Amino acid sequence: MIGKLRVYRIWLLILPGFIFVCVLLFLPMAHIIIGSLKGEEGWTFSNYLRAFSKSAFQISYIRTLKLGTLITVLAIVIGYPTAYIVYRSKWKGVMMSLALIPLMTTAVVRTFAWFVVLGRNGLINQVLKSLGIIESSLKLLYTEGAIVVGLLQLFFPLMLFSLISSMENISTDIEEAARSLGATPLQAFFAITLPLSMDGMIIGSILVFAGSISAYTTPAILGGTRVLMLSTLLYQRAMTLMDWNGAMVIAVVMFLSTLIINWLLRRLRREMP
Amino acid sequence: MKKLNWSLLIIILVFLFLLGPLLILFFSSFGETLTFPPRNLTIAWYPKVIGMRFFREAFKTSLILGFGSTLAALFLGIPAAYALTRFSFIGKSVIENVFTSPLIVPALVIGFSLLRFFVQFGNFPILLGLFLGHTVLLFPYTVRVTSASLKNFDFQIEEAAISLGAPPLKSFFYMVLPNIRVGVLSAFILSFATSFNNVPVSLMLTGPGMVMLPIQMLTYMEYYYDPSIAALSVLIMIFIVLITQITERLLGLSKYL
Amino acid sequence: MEYLELINLTFGYEKDKPVLNNFSLSVSKGDFFSILGPSGCGKTTIIRTIAGFLELRAGKIKLKGRDYTYMPPHNRNFGLVYQSYALFPHFTVFQNLAFGLKIRKLSEKEIHQKIISALILVNLKGLEKRYPGQLSGGQKQRVALARALVVEPDLLLLDEPLSNLDAKLRDTMRSELRRLQKEVGITTIYVTHDLVEALALSDKIVIINQGKPEQIGTPEVLFYNPKSLFVANFMGFQELARGRVIKMNERMVEMQVEDEVLKARRGAGVNVGSIAILVNRVGSFEYSGKQENKLKGRIISKIFQGDTALYFVSMGESLFRVEMPLGSALWKEEDTIVLGTDPNLCIAFPAEE
Repeated sequence: MIGKLRVYRIWLLILPGFIFVCVLLFLPMAHIIIGSLKGEEGWTFSNYLRAFSKSAFQISYIRTLKLGTLITVLAIVIGYPTAYIVYRSKWKGVMMSLALIPLMTTAVVRTFAWFVVLGRNGLINQVLKSLGIIESSLKLLYTEGAIVVGLLQLFFPLMLFSLISSMENISTDIEEAARSLGATPLQAFFAITLPLSMDGMIIGSILVFAGSISAYTTPAILGGTRVLMLSTLLYQRAMTLMDWNGAMVIAVVMFLSTLIINWLLRRLRREMP
Repeated sequence: MKKLNWSLLIIILVFLFLLGPLLILFFSSFGETLTFPPRNLTIAWYPKVIGMRFFREAFKTSLILGFGSTLAALFLGIPAAYALTRFSFIGKSVIENVFTSPLIVPALVIGFSLLRFFVQFGNFPILLGLFLGHTVLLFPYTVRVTSASLKNFDFQIEEAAISLGAPPLKSFFYMVLPNIRVGVLSAFILSFATSFNNVPVSLMLTGPGMVMLPIQMLTYMEYYYDPSIAALSVLIMIFIVLITQITERLLGLSKYL
Repeated sequence: MEYLELINLTFGYEKDKPVLNNFSLSVSKGDFFSILGPSGCGKTTIIRTIAGFLELRAGKIKLKGRDYTYMPPHNRNFGLVYQSYALFPHFTVFQNLAFGLKIRKLSEKEIHQKIISALILVNLKGLEKRYPGQLSGGQKQRVALARALVVEPDLLLLDEPLSNLDAKLRDTMRSELRRLQKEVGITTIYVTHDLVEALALSDKIVIINQGKPEQIGTPEVLFYNPKSLFVANFMGFQELARGRVIKMNERMVEMQVEDEVLKARRGAGVNVGSIAILVNRVGSFEYSGKQENKLKGRIISKIFQGDTALYFVSMGESLFRVEMPLGSALWKEEDTIVLGTDPNLCIAFPAEE
């Protein structure tokens, strides 16, 4: 194909999508970023200062980071043994398909299911009461714990798949060689499998963390208006309180956070063999 | 033998955690009230929920929006994916990053920024706004999944057709497209599900007269606490499974074409 | 009591399809014992069973009289060398070798000493700090070997370790391997599909056919006295002709092949009156008919091989190959020729049903 004609054809194919994304993503984002930096007299950080000084913002910001970290840590701790067991099991395929189900269900449905389990008359309270451990129902909904549980259920499969995928890249010969040299299966796991699947753990962590701080539906339902994360705070500011400036600040903060995390992911991917 | 018990225990607990609540929801949809285990078994909630007009309307809206935005995303995404896998050119990685950027930004932020953006234009039609918002959301999926399918495609087939005299556009439709049917249909299912299930973008861009199913459910949940949502959830899950099955049947048929 | 005894091993991945069925074998101490066979015949299965990574359905494994059948792999103290080398990619050469020693709780000083001696043994001293990714194929192979040897195992198991090397390297490594084995004196079991390799390295060879041992013997015995058609084919014998057995005594048989009567050594299971297959080696022909077996044939094609030429000869229904040194009396294609071959270099086996 002739040089000029080829380039022309490529751009013809790409341009519609490119323009679309630019107009409907970049432009609005730029609009918000600029808007957040504009005050009465031109460029200013006053919006940010005002927002950061509000305790609601501080609390939800810290909470978002805290819960994001907690969920990620839980995903790692529970994920590793699970991944190891699934990876070596006969029913690996079946289990992996089953594990995908939370990802495939609507957020509303999946989160509502927790209502039935965690509610005042829900399963857990019923069981605890019938066992005589408690007298009156525990308040499990609208707590940070509920959000952690809900988001963990959603994002755990991501960590699981990431770990299993990196474990699959470790040739079985290597693990066997370790065992033939005298290592018990447990020793072989810690000396060989764990270090070599580190990259899977890191990628999984980033996916889980990014997802947790960006999620809206699950924190909205399980946290309500009292336990706010950045995303639910954004909604409140924008739709309920009409505080556009505050909302824009939050939007920019969320955007920058996910940007940094994605940059990290890309850096790490490049460094891997 | 002790080791085996531990493994089994962990697996059972994990899958109980992942799937348990959904199963519980399923069973409580058959109770008189929303409890588990369900008391006074009944299937009355199912016809009741189908009878609720607002849910039916919301379902229709979500369906139309889903199909519309998926088609638009495919229309934009397939040529883009083709160009990205077939050719190498300057700025390719930049373009790739641009195309995947909607995945990076939190959905709520996308919705919010579009809201502020559209507000500038005065009375921006709500359906159009939703349509555009969903399409942006779905675009990276169509590009990615189609690209993955195209990577396994031997472009020499297309070149052979061209060398035999077929014009490029024709050889694309007759040679490339049929062979990546699987990828395109997967992209379709994935995009449709993403649009149908979406809450943040829909929430931000919705307005009077327009309700999507997930949002309608959220509203209902604020006021009522009964098994109708449970029944509806089961119905939605069946619906999604049906769509997946139907598209897989289509895939099966396409092997004979 | 032999050093290693495999008694009636039975193993299969699926219930009705055994890969090994009542497989028995004994190996003497210090021997280099090769398991030879075509792909898929179960040789890798045998090694993995000995190593303990596959559970037997029936049978016993005994080393020095002790029953190893139910012992987990990490307690067996067998050295394993893989076709893929299986070096730990995140450890240096030193750390790779140290792994087994650390588990055996040796002192730092001892570990260091043993590793250095092992590296000297395989000619890799100086590469301790390198990572497997920085080594060549041959070097990786030697590290794998050193790692298995450094823990002083009771048995060395090698699964086609030289298959991934190019031809020249394979030759070098082959002699290295032989030298090492004799020097260390370790009982070795070697799995391969390469005939030349097995002949060069082994004290004893067992030929495996679909999970069953066809013949065990020294390389010379197998080479000159194959006991079955399968083994003969594997050893490189070609099918010369088919015919009916008309006479036989203890050692030799006489066969009617077309118009000729040919004589050959008697293979197991041959009966008077039955159809038999005559096999010989492509290099055991002579130009004139001075030998007892005279063959008349026509040359179909000729392939130049440098020092020798390979002729494809047709004789009636049979088609066979003849390898001759290039010298006098060069044959051409379409020539009708007379050949001779020594009956002692031919063997007759019963034709398979």
